[in-house]
Amino acid sequence: MSKKKKAGIGRVFMWVILIAIAIVQIFPLIWLLDFSVASSTEMFTSGLLIIPKKIMWSNYSKAFTDGHFLLYLKNSILINVLAVILVLIASIMAGFACRRMRWKLSGFVKTMLLMGMMIPIHATLLPNYKIYTELGITDTMWALLIPYVAFSLPQGLFLMTSFIESIPVELEEAAVIDGCGIYRIIFQVITPMLKTSIATVSIMTFLNNWNEFMMARIYLSSDKWKTLPFSILDFTGQYSSNYAIQFAVMALTAAPAIIVYIILNKHITKGVAMGAVKG
Amino acid sequence: MKKLYSNKLVIFSLILPGLLLFIFAILAPICLSIYYGFTNYTGMGTYDMIGLENYKNLLHDEAFAISLRNSLLLAIGFICIQHPIAMIIAAVLDKLGGRAESFFRCVYFIPNVISIAVIAKLWGFIYNPNFGLLNNIVKAFGGKGDINWLDEKNAIWSVLIVLIWHGFGWGMLIYYTGIKNIDPTLYEAASIDGASQSQTFLRVTLPLMKPVIQVNVTMAVISALKQMETVYLLTQGGPGNSTQFAANYLYQQGFTAYRYGYGNAIGVIFIIICLIATVALNKVFEDRDEVRMRKHERDEEKRRNAMRKSVTVKNKLNSIKAVG
Repeated sequence: MSKKKKAGIGRVFMWVILIAIAIVQIFPLIWLLDFSVASSTEMFTSGLLIIPKKIMWSNYSKAFTDGHFLLYLKNSILINVLAVILVLIASIMAGFACRRMRWKLSGFVKTMLLMGMMIPIHATLLPNYKIYTELGITDTMWALLIPYVAFSLPQGLFLMTSFIESIPVELEEAAVIDGCGIYRIIFQVITPMLKTSIATVSIMTFLNNWNEFMMARIYLSSDKWKTLPFSILDFTGQYSSNYAIQFAVMALTAAPAIIVYIILNKHITKGVAMGAVKG
Repeated sequence: MKKLYSNKLVIFSLILPGLLLFIFAILAPICLSIYYGFTNYTGMGTYDMIGLENYKNLLHDEAFAISLRNSLLLAIGFICIQHPIAMIIAAVLDKLGGRAESFFRCVYFIPNVISIAVIAKLWGFIYNPNFGLLNNIVKAFGGKGDINWLDEKNAIWSVLIVLIWHGFGWGMLIYYTGIKNIDPTLYEAASIDGASQSQTFLRVTLPLMKPVIQVNVTMAVISALKQMETVYLLTQGGPGNSTQFAANYLYQQGFTAYRYGYGNAIGVIFIIICLIATVALNKVFEDRDEVRMRKHERDEEKRRNAMRKSVTVKNKLNSIKAVG
C-alpha cells in the first residue's frame, strides 16, 4: 500500500518536472505569439500575457512585406538546398575514396579533411572577407555557399565513411564483374544503400546553415541574396518603433523552421541523434 | 578489381571537390590569418610587418581574458546546470511512453530550430526593463520589477541563461537517444532485484551513459568556446566587454576597431585554443575508455580461465562417474 502511494507521489513529481521545464522552454514563444497580434500601445502592461482588444492580423501583413519575407525565404531555401546537395556529393565521393580506394595517403587526407570540424568557423570571418573581396564574389550566392558547404563537409564525410564501411564489399565485386566503372559503382550501387546516412547528413547540414547569419552579415551587402534571419535583423523601415510588428516579424521568421520541424519531427529527432552520437 | 581501385586519376577526381573546398575555405584563410597576424594592417591602406607585437599585446589584453573566462563560465553552466536537468528529463521521458513522450520531446527541442536572430531579439524584449516579460514575472511575485537585466553586473548571467535555455533541447535529445539505446532487460533485472527508480538511474543508467556524457561534455566545451551570434545581437559583448566572447571580439577588432591585423592574431590564437581543447578532451576521455577496456579484457580472461577450470573439473567428475 505504502509502496503504491510512494509510486503515486513519484508520478506526480515526474509530471510536475516535465510540465515545468516545458513551460520554461515554450512560454517565451507563447508570449511572442501573444504580443505579435496585439496593438503596439497594449504592450506596456504589467500582466504576463495580454488579451488584445482586437486581433491585429495587419501586423503580419506589414511584417510580410516590410521584412522581404518571400525573397529571403526563397534565398534561404535555394542556398540551403544547394549546400545540402553539394555536401552530399562531395562527402560520398571523398568518403568512398578514403574508405575503399587503395592509395597511400588515404588516411592522411581523411584526417586533414576531418580537421575542419575542429576549426571555429568565426575565426575565418576576417581572412575570408579579404579573399572574397579580392575575388569579387562578395554579395553573390557563392560567398555563402562556399563556406556553408566547406564547414558542413567534415561532419558529412565523417558520417559517410562510417556508413560506407558497413556496406559489404561483395556488392561492389559483383558490380566490377558486370563491368561497372568506379563512378557507376558510387552513384548506382553505393548511394542507394546510403539512404539513412543521406537523410542524417541532409538534416545536420540544414540545421547548421539554415539559421546562420554572421557570414551573410559580413559577405553580403545588398538584399539580393540575404537569407531569412535578415527579415528580423534588417527590419527597419517605417515600423521600426512599432514593437508589435517586430514581434510579428520574429514569429514569421521562426515559423518555417518550426512548421517543418513539427511535420518531420520523427525523422529530425532520429537524424540529430545519429549525427550527434556518431559525430 | 585491384587495378580499378588503385587508379590514381579516379582517386584524385573523387577527392578533388572536398580538397578544393578545404583549401579554399579553411586552409587559405588560416594561412592568411597567420600572415596578417604579424602586421599592423587596419583594413585599408598600407601596413608594416611588426613581428610578434600583436601576440604580445594579446597577452595583456583584458577583454580577451574576459572572453576566455566567459567561455569557461558558459561551459560550466552547460555541464553543471543544463546537462543534469537534460539527463533527468531524458530518463523521465524514456519511462513515459506513448504520445506524451513525443509531445514533450518535440516541445523541448523547438527553441533549437529557431534562428538565433529571433532568439536574441526575443530575449532582448524579455529582458526589456519597460515591458519585458521577466520584470513582469518579478512583479507578479511581489517584487518591484525594475531590474536592468543587461547592466554590467547582470549581463553575463542573462546571456548564460539564454544560451543554456536555447541549447537545452539538443543536449536532452542526445541523452534521450543514449538512454533509449540501453538494453531494457537490464532494467527488468534491476526491478526484479528490487531496485528503486533512483537506484536504477544511479546504478544502471548513469554508468552505461558514460560515452554519451563524454560526447556531450566535449560538445558543450567546444560550443562554449565558439559562442558568438547570441552575444553579437544581444549585448555586442558589452557593457564594457563584460559579455565578450573570443569570436565576437576578433570580429569587432577586425571590422569596427580598424585593427584587422590584431583581429587576425586573435583568430590564430582562438583556433589554437579550440584545437587544444578538442584534442585534450578526447585524450582525457579516450584514456579512460582504454583503461576500462583493458580492465574488461583482463576480467574476461579471468572468467574464461575459471570457466576452463570448471569445465575440466566437470569432465573429470564425469569420467569418474562413468568409471564408477
